[in-house]
Amino acid sequence: MSSLSLFQRIVIRCGLTSCRSMEKQPVKIMVTGAAGQIGYALVPMIARGVMLGSDQPVILHLLDIPPAAEALNGVKMELIDAAFPLLKGVVATTNVEEACGGVNIAIMVGGFPRQEGMERKDVMSKNVSIYKAQASALEQYAAADCKVLVVANPANTNALILKEFAPSIPAKNITCLTRLDHNRALGRIAQRLNIHVSDVKNVIIWGNHSSTQYPDANHAAVITQAGENSVKELVADDKWLHDEFISFVQQRGAAIIKARKLSSALSAASAACDHIHDWVLGTPKGTWTSMGVCSDGSYGVSPGLIYSFPVTCNKGDWSIVQGLRIDEPSRARMDATAKELIEEKTLAYSCLD
Amino acid sequence: MAKDPVRVLVTGAAGQIGYALVPMIARGVMLGPDQPVILHMLDIPPAAEALNGVKMELVDAAFPLLKGVVATTDAVEACTGVNVAVMVGGFPRKEGMERKDVMSKNVSIYKSQASALEAHAAPNCKVLVVANPANTNALILKEFAPSIPAKNITCLTRLDHNRALGQISERLNIQVSDVKNVIIWGNHSSTQYPDVSHATVKTPSGQKPVRELVSDDDWLKGEFIKTVQQRGAAIIKARKLSSALSAASAACDHIRDWVLGTPEGTWVSMGVYSDGSYNVPAGLIYSFPVTCRAGEWTIVQGLSVDEFSRKKMDATAEELTEEKALAYSCLS
Repeated sequence: MSSLSLFQRIVIRCGLTSCRSMEKQPVKIMVTGAAGQIGYALVPMIARGVMLGSDQPVILHLLDIPPAAEALNGVKMELIDAAFPLLKGVVATTNVEEACGGVNIAIMVGGFPRQEGMERKDVMSKNVSIYKAQASALEQYAAADCKVLVVANPANTNALILKEFAPSIPAKNITCLTRLDHNRALGRIAQRLNIHVSDVKNVIIWGNHSSTQYPDANHAAVITQAGENSVKELVADDKWLHDEFISFVQQRGAAIIKARKLSSALSAASAACDHIHDWVLGTPKGTWTSMGVCSDGSYGVSPGLIYSFPVTCNKGDWSIVQGLRIDEPSRARMDATAKELIEEKTLAYSCLD
Repeated sequence: MAKDPVRVLVTGAAGQIGYALVPMIARGVMLGPDQPVILHMLDIPPAAEALNGVKMELVDAAFPLLKGVVATTDAVEACTGVNVAVMVGGFPRKEGMERKDVMSKNVSIYKSQASALEAHAAPNCKVLVVANPANTNALILKEFAPSIPAKNITCLTRLDHNRALGQISERLNIQVSDVKNVIIWGNHSSTQYPDVSHATVKTPSGQKPVRELVSDDDWLKGEFIKTVQQRGAAIIKARKLSSALSAASAACDHIRDWVLGTPEGTWVSMGVYSDGSYNVPAGLIYSFPVTCRAGEWTIVQGLSVDEFSRKKMDATAEELTEEKALAYSCLS
């Protein structure tokens, strides 16, 4: 015993079995719809530290519906079989209370996947009742300050429903995923300029994670050895930026479905990790990202909608980037997607009656 | 000063193991978080559109480490310049099928891919065969790519190794990262021998033998072995699909430890070209305990092998010898 440090002796006396130096306490992360294909892509990413860093142990809470219970257990079995060093526990359950118990992060993937030809509104009514029920469970059982990311479509409106029916969860803690669109926009610019995607930054996805989203490259930049240059200037094709680029990003989900016969899972899961990672660990200096967040009225967007904005993150909180100049075509697009969100909200509420 | 990218080939990349594997590679799980990669993805023409969908998603994920993606149905293009080749392509095992059932289909695939790799891959390309029957596919590949050093052709038993670690950790109710040095001997099939004779657990008072802590030799020689051997089938039963997530993860572990080295005091299991160690017939691809250093694996020598283990090790070697004969008969 005398060769052990004071810390080690305290650890042993307290009955803890790990005598590794100063390992972080595990973070509990819930994934709903975990037996589905996004869940299957997402959970190994979380277990490898992609979401919270390579030194952050995690405990996974996996939720799905009873018909998927056996498949869900198969996922749990595979997680054990992978012997992930960071994964300190797996709870696989069809019970929403057990799933939500003590979770610090909730990734809401569960819902009806969009099939070829379906628009997101088609799945709205099915999902609204799901999100109302899950709002209650989260509110009651999740850890304080739980961060919520809604992925299942219609993402913004599902998040809105969740927010409305979990009033004790701070509105700022309820977000939806537009990081996938943001990453797609970066990828398209990189392809157009024949540069690496990590040299492009500060695109913006405004609005709804749907075909009315507005991918905005007006403030985007390319990082070069000699400093930063404007994407607008380097592309030197405003028509492309205003039409083809926007359509590309808006319709990319459908293009993936056409190619794979399934909706995006790999890239959606990866974007979900990026969203949480930047939210919790902060955005790099000089860089913003896109997140669907509760509008405070910035940029003339109706307060209370879950709307995608450019945000920076610091110390676990996001802040909307203020003061960006908005030209007329941008204004029109930003308003159009806000209008769709208001319509969706009305539709959602009508489903609840 | 960013490193030069490493080219990694994944065959069968449009399938479900490929889909789980490529984002892991692109995130640095396989070669480290500071190693840029270029992915070469190969699949058969009927899967071309799906394969392109995977490429599209890789682009959409904006991975900082991913410096390029080649998605092709042409084996020559796929193999060109690759430093690491992960051979996932083959027929997936379906519920009720034994690995031997898919042998003949895969033997001709691996014969032709051997030629493509030999002719077009980078020198010293490291090859990992995943597709079942993994050991025999790797053997065929080795036989028909004679200019690739035999030591560079391996097959995946890391999945079984990790499964064994997982079962021990569940039994002892401890963290899986506190268990080490299980061994998977032999064939990645139901004759594999998961051996915990030399496995240990990290405790506050040092490393303790698993055998002592489990204190149930009947379980270790019976149910434990069977569970690990049959785990693939159990996953298929639960998921209605074979393991993808855990197989992909194990493939990353296999390559990472091979390239970057095993931790001090720890070995892993890899299916490698037998040199006759432990009285295993030379010339088979057989899973052994290995340590890795400077990009090379070395069989751990001098481990005591009791009678029980000897029988199991011989049985799986026998199966491999039979598979080899069956494979060659498919080629005639």
